[in-house]
Amino acid sequence: MKGYRKYFGKKILWFLITLVAAVILNFILPRLMPADPVSAITGKMASGMTDASAVQEIYKRYEAEFGTNKPLIQQFFIFVKNLFHGNLGTSFSQYPRKVSNIISSAIGWTICLQLPAILVGWLLGNVLGALAAYIRKGFDKVLLPVALFMSNVPAFGMAVTLLVLFAVKWKIAPIAGGYAFDMIPNMSWRFLKSVISHYQLPFWSIVLVSIGGQAIGMRSMSIYELNADYVKYARFLGIKDRKIVGYVFRNAMLPQVTGLALSIGTMIGGALVAEIIFSYPGLGSTMYSAVTAADYPLISATTLIITIMVLVVTFLLDIIYGFIDPRVKAAQFDA
Amino acid sequence: MKKIIALLLALIMLVALGATAYADNDVSELPREETLYFAGQQWGTVLSWNIMGTNQNNSMAIAGGPSGYRTLMFETLFMYNFMNGDIIGLLGDSYEWNDDLTEVSVVLKDAAKWCDGTPVTAEDVVKTWDVSVEIGNTAGTTYGAYIDSIEATGEKTFIIHSKLDAEGRPVNPLKVTDFLTGSPIAQAAWIDKLVERNGGDAVSILNDPGEDVVWSGPYTKYYSDDQKVVLIRDDNYWGQDASMWGKLPVPKYIAHTIYADNPAGELALKAGEVDVCQQFIGNVQDLWLKDGLPISTYYEEAPYGVCLTMPTAWYNMNLPVLAENAALRKAIAIAVDYDTIIANAMTNQSPSFADVPRSLMNPTDGEQALYNHDAVADLQWAGNDIEGAIAMLDEAGLVDTDGDGWREYNGEKISLNAVCPNGWTDWQASMEVVAAAGDKIGVEITTLYPEWDIYQTVFTNPNQTEYAIFMWSPEAASPSNPWTRVNQFLGKDYVGVENNWSGNWGQYVNEEADALIKQIPLTTDEEALKDLYTQLTEIYLTEVPSFSLMYRPSLFHAVNESVWTNFPAGDDGREIPPADCTDGYGIAALYELELVG
Repeated sequence: MKGYRKYFGKKILWFLITLVAAVILNFILPRLMPADPVSAITGKMASGMTDASAVQEIYKRYEAEFGTNKPLIQQFFIFVKNLFHGNLGTSFSQYPRKVSNIISSAIGWTICLQLPAILVGWLLGNVLGALAAYIRKGFDKVLLPVALFMSNVPAFGMAVTLLVLFAVKWKIAPIAGGYAFDMIPNMSWRFLKSVISHYQLPFWSIVLVSIGGQAIGMRSMSIYELNADYVKYARFLGIKDRKIVGYVFRNAMLPQVTGLALSIGTMIGGALVAEIIFSYPGLGSTMYSAVTAADYPLISATTLIITIMVLVVTFLLDIIYGFIDPRVKAAQFDA
Repeated sequence: MKKIIALLLALIMLVALGATAYADNDVSELPREETLYFAGQQWGTVLSWNIMGTNQNNSMAIAGGPSGYRTLMFETLFMYNFMNGDIIGLLGDSYEWNDDLTEVSVVLKDAAKWCDGTPVTAEDVVKTWDVSVEIGNTAGTTYGAYIDSIEATGEKTFIIHSKLDAEGRPVNPLKVTDFLTGSPIAQAAWIDKLVERNGGDAVSILNDPGEDVVWSGPYTKYYSDDQKVVLIRDDNYWGQDASMWGKLPVPKYIAHTIYADNPAGELALKAGEVDVCQQFIGNVQDLWLKDGLPISTYYEEAPYGVCLTMPTAWYNMNLPVLAENAALRKAIAIAVDYDTIIANAMTNQSPSFADVPRSLMNPTDGEQALYNHDAVADLQWAGNDIEGAIAMLDEAGLVDTDGDGWREYNGEKISLNAVCPNGWTDWQASMEVVAAAGDKIGVEITTLYPEWDIYQTVFTNPNQTEYAIFMWSPEAASPSNPWTRVNQFLGKDYVGVENNWSGNWGQYVNEEADALIKQIPLTTDEEALKDLYTQLTEIYLTEVPSFSLMYRPSLFHAVNESVWTNFPAGDDGREIPPADCTDGYGIAALYELELVG
């Protein structure tokens, strides 16, 4: 028990140190860009204005409102203070909208698109990889090159190909958006059907790319395990193949679990391509537009979410690992 | 396992539904034959309906376009038609200037009403103006330097008093006319409510989302979320009175899907999910010639649309080599191959400089008639004149002395960059052509494409020396043009101004030109005006502080006629401008649309 406490205590300490460092970087890095977002807002307002001093006034007003005229250190403490109050600030590019409001309206779409896509891609990839290792022969000969090819197709290439083939050429899938262009969201089967049909292309564009990588990893891990001594011994003992495959799968899966956890942690960034190409609502495209507009508060908030998700996932992973792999638990407590 | 997956999927679907906002509207699907779909105007979630607010992103309801105000929901006093320069009554019935241009009297339409049935009165106009100045919103800051006050003289009549300079002359009557067509009017009673609930605090008033706003236009908000915004027709709209349109606009709904980028909007136009598309589409003629789609533009032949502005390359006068060498500025300008730019970057959606010789004017007939073409004919260039450019540089003593193939100035190699924002592909193609011209005349020009947020920070900085030749577009069309545009090209007011979004981005100073520019707003005699504009064009073509690379529409106007037809076209004799059926007098198109079926 003491071992547990010491181990988790240490983990939590590191977790906190990383978090503090991440918050500082989240604040500083966007602000190091040589861009002035207040100037961009002023520009939006000033179009058609011929009186230069009026434009100046507008600039000064926004500078004061966003606090960008204060020293960076002072801005940082305001940022941290607001964070403790759960206030992520006001967006520059979507001023006067609150960052929390932007994120809450987008995050649902991202999670609904990414989480199932990551899980399905992971499951299919691992099953196919394990089968390839186990069956070998023709199946493996086809699967390996196909998987290699798929895992190397860039995400945007896959998304554009799917869009052109299914939406533009064959017209069997919608072009853009989260629901039909002529609908207003409501509780009806027609709307639900529309949401599902708009879900297909972005979903498969993520799944297809991730299957390949997972399958390759799983295949080589499984081949390694299949040649392990315990498998040979089990065969000698006459244990059924099914049972042996179960053992092999469990052992080969361990590194794959890490991969899964990390892709869940970074799913906001991963959603970017699919969301942009299919004009699908979500946090990925929000983050992209925030970066192009030098919208510090929005960039800081989205990257903070990614940081926290990765930290939480790796933290949980450390704990879960102990349970699924007794070898790791032993090593952790020894340390 | 199966059960878990099924449960998971069901849960995901529920969350997905939860992620969308629900509408408490009566229709869940917009009838295609009652809805006009747009693309290319709204690029983000609508944030505000507050017409007195500021920093608006509500492009369908609150937008002062470059060719007229968008009057779907809120209305201006008058509408501008850039096809013929006409100023047509909307809330206003008529206006009249006094002789010394110090005040303009306006009469409001009798029939003009707010959506709540109360009449639009002079008090509304006065309140809109007074509060705009007080809180410093767009109208207040845009026109505050030119309008002193607005005074109600009756229920339906008022006088706008110009701001006067030290000699008692009006500062700029042209900008006051801009106010008539460019600034929407809000209801006094609603403004009082707005001010009261925000405790009179300017910033709170500006940021109020204005959900309860009172409007006078033919449409109002119906639905908006992260993916679309929909307006619905107000069937009690006052404009169906015979003194205005005499009928309601045809589409019941105006919808705009929020696309991620241009290609997405273009795909939707091709698929018939968009009726009116305000986006640049390269080789737009292919849509009907090759793809056989029912898509058309204002003109059937090139340039397909009406060009109102000219994307321009500005020379940075903070760099001595450019400031001190008019010959270098002109040599680069005459060496550039504009036909290539127009054919490639604009896919011929611009008249050539042989068709419309360069000047300070946009290519519309009205502006072209404002200067004497013959007087400046000798100064013109159509481009790609490499020999002429080389001779010019040689004559100016800008020669290659060290034999490295590049010319020098004061012993140093002339090395410039040509800059525009990354991803602005037509501009980037133009900058490549400028760089190629430099190559041919022994002047090193390298291209540079920074991201937009960086670009805008640098080029609006009056002291910047990072960008030598950089692109930006001047003003398009309004009653105050071409004066506003000429002031942007040659005026001294903007030199040294921090965060300069207003004009003269190259920081060029010419006292003579500035003096001429200052005379224009008070000159009413047509011949005198023509003379002033001709002199200014002469200075511009001699000094070359900047050079336009192409002409360009300020609004693109491609329409898909699979559902709606009878859109305005150049040859239909109606003179409805191609302003996307929404801006200035362009809104007249909405009253004449017909269903294909």
